[in-house]
This record gives sequence, C-alpha cells and structure tokens, in this order.
Amino acid sequence: MNVKKLGDHIITVDKVCKTFPNGVKALCDFSTNIRRAEVVVVIGPSGSGKSTFLRCLNGLEEIDSGEIIFDGIPLDHDKKNRLKIRREMGMVFQSFNLFPHMTVLENIMLAQKLVRKSSTGVAKDVSMELLEKVGIQDKVSAYPGQLSGGQQQRVAIARALAMKPKVMLFDEATSALDPEMIGEVLDVMKTLAREGMTMICVTHELGFAQEVSDWVIFMDQGKIIEGGTADHFFSNPQEERTKLFLSQIL
Amino acid sequence: MKKKRYFTPTDLMLSVMFLLFCLFIAYRIKVGLNYNWAWDSIFQFLFRFDNESNSWVSGLIMTGFYTTIRLSIWGILFATVFGVVSGIARTSSIPLFRWLATTYVETMRNLPPLVIIFIAYFFVGDQLLYPLGIDDWAETLSPTGQNIITVLFAKPSQLTSFLAALMTLAIFEGAYITEIVRAGIESIDRGQWEASHSLGLTRYQQMRHIILPQTFQRIMPPLAGQFISLIKDSSIVSVISIQELCFQGIEIMTGTLHTIEIWIVVTLLYLTLTLPCSLVVERLENSMSRGVH
Ligand SMILES: Nc1ncnc2c1ncn2[C@@H]1O[C@H](COP(=O)(O)OP(=O)(O)OP(=O)(O)O)[C@@H](O)[C@H]1O
Ligand SMILES: [Mg+2]
Repeated sequence: MNVKKLGDHIITVDKVCKTFPNGVKALCDFSTNIRRAEVVVVIGPSGSGKSTFLRCLNGLEEIDSGEIIFDGIPLDHDKKNRLKIRREMGMVFQSFNLFPHMTVLENIMLAQKLVRKSSTGVAKDVSMELLEKVGIQDKVSAYPGQLSGGQQQRVAIARALAMKPKVMLFDEATSALDPEMIGEVLDVMKTLAREGMTMICVTHELGFAQEVSDWVIFMDQGKIIEGGTADHFFSNPQEERTKLFLSQIL
Repeated sequence: MKKKRYFTPTDLMLSVMFLLFCLFIAYRIKVGLNYNWAWDSIFQFLFRFDNESNSWVSGLIMTGFYTTIRLSIWGILFATVFGVVSGIARTSSIPLFRWLATTYVETMRNLPPLVIIFIAYFFVGDQLLYPLGIDDWAETLSPTGQNIITVLFAKPSQLTSFLAALMTLAIFEGAYITEIVRAGIESIDRGQWEASHSLGLTRYQQMRHIILPQTFQRIMPPLAGQFISLIKDSSIVSVISIQELCFQGIEIMTGTLHTIEIWIVVTLLYLTLTLPCSLVVERLENSMSRGVH
C-alpha cells in the first residue's frame, strides 16, 4: 500500500442530531472529522443511520441540531451555502439513479453544462476522459436501460466525478449489484481512493475497507460506537457490539 | 407472445346474432320509423355552389366543423399550458401555489360543465374580454389581417365570443390535465430528485431537465385521452351560441327536420377528429408497455 498524506479537516461534524417526523432518532450527538484525501468506511447494522449520515452531509436531509462545516462553509439554512456544498460533493447511490431519458454521455455532461457552465466541447472532453477511466467509453450513446448494473454504477460514478467534487459519498454502491459485477465497481472506487480522492463509503465490503481505507467507523443506533483503522477493527475490536456485528458479517 | 386466435363455434354464434340484430334495426328504421329519407338535400349543408362568386363554398355543417377544429386545436394548446403550469404548482414546495392550484382543480371537477360554461363565459366574456375591445380592434385591421384572424379564430364580429368560449373550454379541461401532470410528476422515482440534487442542480433545473421530460414521456397516453375528451366537450359551447358542429347540427335539424341524416353526418365528422387520436393513444400505450425508454 502506498502511503498518502492526509490533509487538514475538510468536513467537521459536531454533535449532529436528526430525528425523523415519525420519531425515529437516526443520528444522535454524531461527531466526526474527515481529512482531505482520507478514505472513511462506515459500517453498521441496517437502520443504524449510515445513509442518514451521508444524506445529511450533502443536504438531502436537514439536521435538527449540531453543526456540519464543509471546507469552511457551514451547512445551515442558507440556500446559497447548501447549494455551494452539494456542488462540491459527489454522491453515488445504491440504485444508480441515472437519468433514463438521456444517453450515457448526456448524463455525464448535464451538470457540467448547467452547474459549471462548461461549453459543450469541454464537457464532452471531460466526459469521455471519465468514461475511459471507468472503462465504458464504448457505451457513450447507450441509454441507461441498455446497460448492466455494474456499467450503470460506473456511469453514475463518472457522472459525479464530472463535477470535480472535493468529496465523494458512496451509499452502498455495490449492494444492488450481481456478485460478478461488484468487482468492477470496487476497482473504480479503489483507483479513486489511491488517487487521493476524499471518500466516505458506506459498504459491507470489508475487503475494500482493508485495502484502501484510512479510517473505519462502526455505527449503531445513530451513534459512533467505535472508530479506528481497518487493522484495528479486524484484529482487536474493543466494543462488544462491534465484535458481535463483525462476527455476523465475516 | 401473441396467442393464435381461433374462430370458435361460440364466435360464430355471436357473429350471427349480431348480424341479425343489425338487420332488425335496419328493418325497424325502414319500416317502423316511417321516415322520409332525404340524403340529397343534406349535401348542400356540407358544400354548395355559390352562384354569386361562381365557386364551391362550405355549407353550414362544414363551417361548424372548422370551428370545432379551431376550438379543439387552440383548446388543446391552452388547456395544456394551464394544466402544466397548475400541475407544477400542485407539486410546488410553496403552499400558496399548491393551495391555488388545488382550489382551481376542485372547483372545476366538482361542478357540472354546463354551469362552468355559463359562469366562465359571462365572466370571461363580459368582464375580461369585452372591455379589451377585441372585436373593434379586429374590425379595424386590413382585409388580409381580418382574413388571417378569420382562418385562425373566427370572424372579427364573433371574435370575442369565440375567445371567451375557447378560454372557458381550456380552463375546464386544464383542470383535468393538471391532475394528469401532477400524477405524472409524483410518479417519478425519488432517486431522480436526489441524484440531480446532489449534482447541484437548482429546483428549476431539476424540473426542466430531469423531472418534466420524464413526466411527459409517461403521461402522453392519458394526455392524448384528455385531448379526445376536449374535442368531444367542445360541443358544450353550442349552448352559448358558438357556431360549431353541434350548434349547426341543431340549427339545421330545426330548420329541415332531417334529424337522422344530420346527426349521422355530425357523428362521422366527430369521428374523423377523434378516431385518429384514439389510434395514436393506442400506439403510445403499446410502445410504452414494450418499455421503450
Ligand atoms: N425518510 C425517513 N422517514 C422516517 N424514518 C426514516 C427515514 N429514512 C430513514 N428512516 C429511519 O431512520 C433510521 C436510519 O435509517 P438509515 O437509512 O440511515 O439506516 P442505514 O444504516 O442506512 O440502514 P441500511 O443498511 O438498511 O441502509 C432507520 O430506522 C430508518 O427506518
Ligand atoms: Mg442505507
């Protein structure tokens, strides 16, 4: 493993609470810091609030209390700030969420043109480069419905990268895939991690965590139970709940 | 996956019964109705030879038919605009917009069309359009200008009442299109909103580039169905003396008493407008169920 240098804190999460209208406490007093170029893997049982954490980070959910600061910008009720922040964060979903009425190329060019105001030429060049990177340059004019799950997810990653985000969020990016396609998506994610992209990944792929993560967070019931390096987790986890969870999924 | 169809004895029996039924109706009309058929006197209401100008001109039924076509085309256009705008308002995050659009839809859907026609016609016509002096304006146009107005809408002298009827029809049908658009927007997967949100699109951009294009693809069949309704419903404005197909049918019927011939002709003319639309709807539905993106 190459040794990369982690930078200063790019995201600060301080005592964040999120309760849904139905009374479910998805996050309670949740605090953590993410450094530039850091790859953080979030694990935890179903319903522990992993998705909610990611969704709060990019403003898909509003937090009830606490504070999230992204690259010096507070994620508050100010619309401009919220827009600025989500333009700097790429998100990859479990269900791909490609735009079905657009070709692969149009999917990737859209936000560059609308949000970054790139010219069509520039947007196209960037898109082609990214498609090559994720290995589907031959599908530029296909529609999402004509692609396999693995291909769709790689397009979704390229689409998020086209915004040149400072942070990438992955919410169970491989959970909806057939086993034989998981590898191709994980490979793209590993390449990104090695290139120094700041990443927060919710995943059940412990191999991925072992290989590229700098920090692993174990969550349960909206709280961080334990954080540490991958080695720490797999050799001697401290908390009982962590041990139980790991024994269940290993 | 099409199953091969066989002509079973049951089918044969049903066909024979249907044929007999048709024969019976024909017999009743011929013998029982004691009706004086006069097809030859009907043709003059479609087209007649004008001795003054020495050319063929359209008769009353055809001019009525043209008015129905004008009402339908403009009606579809305006109803779609009203429906899309208020459909978007129905799903807006701003309560005032939602509330206004809901009031509009509920009012239109819970009143008989005739009542709406009278209320809206007298309100739109007398209060909004007459003060604008559209008729007077149209009469001051050059002959070419007047001709254009006549071809596109109605004779300058009837322009205001035509526009009032048109708007009434569009407002009425727009309420139903609102619901189609709203249901379409709501049927779009939440993931589409979330993905475009995380790419940094504004709400307007999300609507314009992601949600509405998919909505329109999806609602084409019900929308086309509503257009057919609009064509049929355009006959309602005959009660406010717009001289469209039904109005002319009633006029000629009272004048000539050739009731059956007139209404057969009117029926066929309506069908020439609505049947092609129906076929288009069927095509759309088929292509969608085959899952063309
Ligand atoms: N929109 C919502 N409304 C109400 N409750 C919600 C909503 N979204 C999530 N929850 C609840 O909040 C809790 C945390 O959900 P979250 O999706 O963050 O869990 P998760 O760790 O991502 O689980 P999974 O591994 O199943 O994806 C769960 O109990 C869930 O039922
Ligand atoms: Mg989740």
